[in-house]
Amino acid sequence: MQGGYRSHDTLTESILGFAEYLRSRDFNIGIREVQEALTAGSLGIIADKRSFSFSLKTIFCSSAEDALRFDLYFEQYWETLAEQLKGALDIKSRLVPQKKEVRSAVFMGKGHTDEKEKEQQDTKNVTGANSVERLRQTDFSMVSSIDSSHLEKLAMDLWKQMGKRLKRKLRLSVTKGTLDIRQTIRSSISSGGSMLDLRYKDKKPEKYRLVILLDVSGSMDKYSFYLLRFVMALREHFRNIEAFVFSTQLVRITDFLRIKNLDSVLSYLSQSTQAWSSGTKIGESMKAFNTAYSKRVLNGKTLTLILSDGLDTGEPELLSTEMGRIKRRTRRLIWLNPLKGSEGYQPLARGMAAALPAIDVFSSAHSLESILELERYLADV
Amino acid sequence: MIPEISRLSESFDRLGYVVDDELATVLYLMLQLKKPLLLEGHPGVGKTEVANILSAHSKTELIRLQCYEGLDVHSAVYEWNYQKQLLSIKIQESNQKSDLEKEKHIFGKDFLMPRPLLKAILSQDQSPVLLIDEIDRADEEFEAFLLELLSAFQISIPEFGTIKAAHVPWVILTSNRTRELSDALRRRCLYHWVNYPTIEKEYQIVMKKLPGIEQQLAGQIVEVVNKLRTKELEKSPGISETLDWAMSLQALGKRKLEETALAETIGAVLKSHHDIERMKAGGLAQLLSEIHH
Repeated sequence: MQGGYRSHDTLTESILGFAEYLRSRDFNIGIREVQEALTAGSLGIIADKRSFSFSLKTIFCSSAEDALRFDLYFEQYWETLAEQLKGALDIKSRLVPQKKEVRSAVFMGKGHTDEKEKEQQDTKNVTGANSVERLRQTDFSMVSSIDSSHLEKLAMDLWKQMGKRLKRKLRLSVTKGTLDIRQTIRSSISSGGSMLDLRYKDKKPEKYRLVILLDVSGSMDKYSFYLLRFVMALREHFRNIEAFVFSTQLVRITDFLRIKNLDSVLSYLSQSTQAWSSGTKIGESMKAFNTAYSKRVLNGKTLTLILSDGLDTGEPELLSTEMGRIKRRTRRLIWLNPLKGSEGYQPLARGMAAALPAIDVFSSAHSLESILELERYLADV
Repeated sequence: MIPEISRLSESFDRLGYVVDDELATVLYLMLQLKKPLLLEGHPGVGKTEVANILSAHSKTELIRLQCYEGLDVHSAVYEWNYQKQLLSIKIQESNQKSDLEKEKHIFGKDFLMPRPLLKAILSQDQSPVLLIDEIDRADEEFEAFLLELLSAFQISIPEFGTIKAAHVPWVILTSNRTRELSDALRRRCLYHWVNYPTIEKEYQIVMKKLPGIEQQLAGQIVEVVNKLRTKELEKSPGISETLDWAMSLQALGKRKLEETALAETIGAVLKSHHDIERMKAGGLAQLLSEIHH
């Protein structure tokens, strides 16, 4: 390794600088980790580059993703940047958290409603009980831009209520609790060991995991905006939720839902432009899901929810196989298709027809009302 | 490698374990910093084995807690011996002790059955190795409880009092990533991602565990398994599959791997009907021709 940071001060500074360097790349490193790194440095590990690298890796990384990126950053920093960064290390900049630029997201049906479509819209902007009823049944693709904010609020409210109800139902679905022997024995002492007063344990709530795969391809444009909000609303009430979006590729968005901030979710998604509003390869996306996640994420207590119009540009055989693989690993497979809301719709699209045999529940998701119906399928497991 | 880590590595080698340099460094740091170690990696890469290595090296007891959904305090920490308590109440029925004294008696140490976590805390002579296997299968509530345990190393039992560890155990946690662990837990631990071993390492492992095996056979087995791991399988073979397979071939008296031997024993290395069908359809001879030996 290069000279220059062999003496105590400069080594300390270099490690501090490296921690800072990693933090700016989204590593979660606290003071304790830095202290441990310094301790490791003082153990003489610095004398060997590989040992040093392995040590900092195990201390600074906290996930497989971190570990994958670490080696590159280690090389970059210690081989090229150490000298430059040492001088520039500014303690103050560490104290003020830097706000990330939030990019405005103009996509997903917002901002490009053209005139022709506006004329077609039969909905009018009226408020009141009547309009609520009307909005509940309006197809998302037909919502005027004036109505949309109103609908959004209504949707969030209704979905939140639904989430709450669902949570309660899933908890109550287990029958009577088991005998609490410990409490029973304790209470039986005064009666000389005769168990007159039986105590029961609290019922244990059954916990289901919800896995959501949301299609965000071009053909879903009008719907995906609302459906993503629906996913966010569910997230607030299911702790155990995994969410993915797909079009030509699959992106896991679970961690972004955790932030509870729709803007940051949208801005992240808009950055991975490839995934957005382009053609649909459902089969390939499902395959990616099966390869990378399904073994980990799916089990007998998982409900899998696919939100897609089924307009697949890939091979139907592939989709059919992959759907079968998902079906084998999950408790219930639900497919919500916004197109099913339109009159006379038949699942004839190649992709949809291929997927159908594996699906337990096939329902629509074009309006608020239709999504609220989902409650039935989720609660009655 | 610096001398301390080399020595550690040699000690593992003498005990019959093949440990790569990175893992040796991680274990060295774990012993130095006295921190728990979180291991993640695909099933079958030898995560659990790390605990065995550590316990063999420090000549200490290995206490194992297998996590599963619904794991609770009674199976993880302690349980009262109810039958014994009931008997004791019956026996004491006629004596003059007060209820309070009786209660104190039956909730005493003799009636306590320690489960893995309490066992690890109670250890008297030296720090045991505590393996918390597949922590991702346990509920989030249990994870929160564990977090508390890992920072204080003490356990409170309402009827009994608080027990503090005389020797802080070496804790190893493993996860298959069926669920993301909380940041809080991750930050309590050192982290190491366990990969499949390289061909050379796996060859060494086979030779170490099955000293009598033909070198050529061992080499072929390791290469085929390695090849299989690059295919898209429902279940990729782990190290234990490699060893099982090597043992099967050895038991059948094979000296080298050819197509018939592969077909007869493929169930030892591939554990899914779908995978076996696929490999057979692709041609086992083809698979064999892809390796060097």
